[in-house]
Amino acid sequence: MANDTPMFVIENLHASIDDKEILRGVNLTINKGEVHALMGPNGSGKSTLAYVLAGHPSYEVTEGSILFNGEDILEKEPDERARDGIFLAFQYPTVIPGVSMANFLRMAVTNVRSARSAAANDGGAQKLAPREFRRLMREKMALLKMDDAFATRYLNEGFSGGEKKRAEILQMALLEPTMAILDETDSGLDIDALRVVSDGVNALAGPEMGILLITHYQRLLNHIKPHHVHIMMSGRIVQSGGPELAMELEAKGYEQLRAEVAAD
Amino acid sequence: MESTTATQTAEPAVALAALTGFSRTAVERLSAAKAEPDWVLAARLAAWDTYESLPMPTTTVEEWRRTALRGLKLDNQVPFAPETDRIASLDDLRVTSRETALAIGGERAGMTVQRDASTVYTEAAPAFAARGVIFTDLDTAIREHADLIRKHFMTTAVPAGLGKFQALHGAMWQGGTFLYVPAGVSVGVPFQSFVLSETPGTATFNHSLVVLEEGAEAFFVDAYHSETAGKQSYASETIELILAKDAKLRYVQVQDWGRHTVNMATQRATLAADSELKSLQVTIGSKWSKNSIGSHLQGRNATAEMLGIFFADGDQFFDHHTYQLHESGYATSDLEFKGALKDTARSVYSGLIRVSEGAQKTDAFQANRNLVLSRGARADTIPNLEIAANDVRCTHGATVSQVEEEHIFYLQARGIPRSEAQKLIVEGFFRPVIDRIPVEEIQDFLKAAIGRKVGI
Repeated sequence: MANDTPMFVIENLHASIDDKEILRGVNLTINKGEVHALMGPNGSGKSTLAYVLAGHPSYEVTEGSILFNGEDILEKEPDERARDGIFLAFQYPTVIPGVSMANFLRMAVTNVRSARSAAANDGGAQKLAPREFRRLMREKMALLKMDDAFATRYLNEGFSGGEKKRAEILQMALLEPTMAILDETDSGLDIDALRVVSDGVNALAGPEMGILLITHYQRLLNHIKPHHVHIMMSGRIVQSGGPELAMELEAKGYEQLRAEVAAD
Repeated sequence: MESTTATQTAEPAVALAALTGFSRTAVERLSAAKAEPDWVLAARLAAWDTYESLPMPTTTVEEWRRTALRGLKLDNQVPFAPETDRIASLDDLRVTSRETALAIGGERAGMTVQRDASTVYTEAAPAFAARGVIFTDLDTAIREHADLIRKHFMTTAVPAGLGKFQALHGAMWQGGTFLYVPAGVSVGVPFQSFVLSETPGTATFNHSLVVLEEGAEAFFVDAYHSETAGKQSYASETIELILAKDAKLRYVQVQDWGRHTVNMATQRATLAADSELKSLQVTIGSKWSKNSIGSHLQGRNATAEMLGIFFADGDQFFDHHTYQLHESGYATSDLEFKGALKDTARSVYSGLIRVSEGAQKTDAFQANRNLVLSRGARADTIPNLEIAANDVRCTHGATVSQVEEEHIFYLQARGIPRSEAQKLIVEGFFRPVIDRIPVEEIQDFLKAAIGRKVGI
């Protein structure tokens, strides 16, 4: 892979669910080290885009491509994409009864790190012994101000909204993706929880990682500073700009923007 | 006719080789071979008469409505295997490590091993014997504790007249284990009974009789195992759990018969006032298994926790009938049976809560949850309530569901392959029940067994 290959390129992406087209030609390029915010009203297709990037089986891609490090990932299973380094923080994390956080995290980390070792041909150097894993897990839990008892609870069962979102970022911290998609990670968070989660994301962000922040509101962007902001409407990105675009949107609201876009 | 005894030299064994199918003669020969007292033979023959007088159940009877007996070839069974030699140590057992790990792993208060018709090994911690605890095979118990056996053996918990197959059991029972804990004695570590069936084509009968006197406490584990073979084997288990006032019993049964086995099991507990039963039924083996499991709550404040786990794959068929029989007021029963099915396996769960007249303040809970993993698998669940009292709380719930694609997707999105994700979800489905067993070895055995069943 040449160094100038963009890390993540979405080209003319069309996707449907139950024969209803939701994405109608999305174009977006994310380079290493960049934070992109994707904003838009309800029903504009933001979450669908997140699901399609992660490989949700209910959506059918009818046109276009998703290139990750120059490779088309559309035919890859969700778990292959995750092992390649794509991470989706869910807007509504799934409750899975009877599966402990610790057991689930260990299985996820083992799979992702084994794949990374295989790709790097480093003879399994990235695999973690159980003790190393536990230490890493505790370290990341401390970063997100999570109680140790968290590890023994069942996956997302009985978690408050804030706990679920923290647990998503914990997973991101442990899996160390190179492309993270955060789907409304700020929804349902009070201001303190929002700060903890944002601090967590900022601590993980770096020159090797691309981040796509999906959000309704500008307030998340006060905590995690985007380099680029995109507005999505009716399954397309209708406007792109710098951080000022989010401020402008906050001031004008989606309705006015919709009118402007329609007029163009 | 096939002979299974070519290498046997004892004379009775040669004569027995001629027997196939169950008969009065088979009952008499079995009793003679064991040199039993007359009263035992008389009880066997009375049970045989009952067996002969009862019709073979058909699907017109509610308990058998979904459970066709097609394929059971009782007439082809060798009625009992010849006596086999005792073994000096558990090392002499030819068992694979997984069964060994379950049955002989961990601390124990005692152990019996039954191989086909014979108890070949008995071990009991002397410290408990000194306090009056009896743990031995039934043949020995008949010789040494006839009064206790006469009082409790197939008299109250599972009388031979309960049904056709219980009657056959009463006539043909072999081997068996007896645990008696006197009043006020408490044994926390498990007594284990391990039953191996090693002669395909031959029936195996097993009986566990557990009697806890007032205030006694014990933990009893039954485990059944055979390697899958070609010729059909019939297996019959009867479990009698008798709890006097204030007694506490934990009971676990793991049924892991080979796929050539047709299994018929009956378990009944009788609970006097303030007694507490915690039972777990695990059904993973056999080709066809019918389990009738019940608790008679006979005294006030008695409590029965009845848990079950089953996992059927291939063409296995499991039928579990449970009975929460509230015969006295102020008693509690809490039942949860969880099953998973894959391939073309089938299961039937049918649970009855019966509250007798006057059993006020009964608190009964019943849940059956099924997880169907393949298109060709099927689970039927039928809850029943019969309530003849007006101040009771009875709750029941039943579900048949599939693994949710959203769950699989979530796990896949974390790099976990689909097959591993499915395994994790199935383990999670059973986990709340497994977590209620306080023995790590049993937990580990069950997790491994579930893992193997899910496969990759």
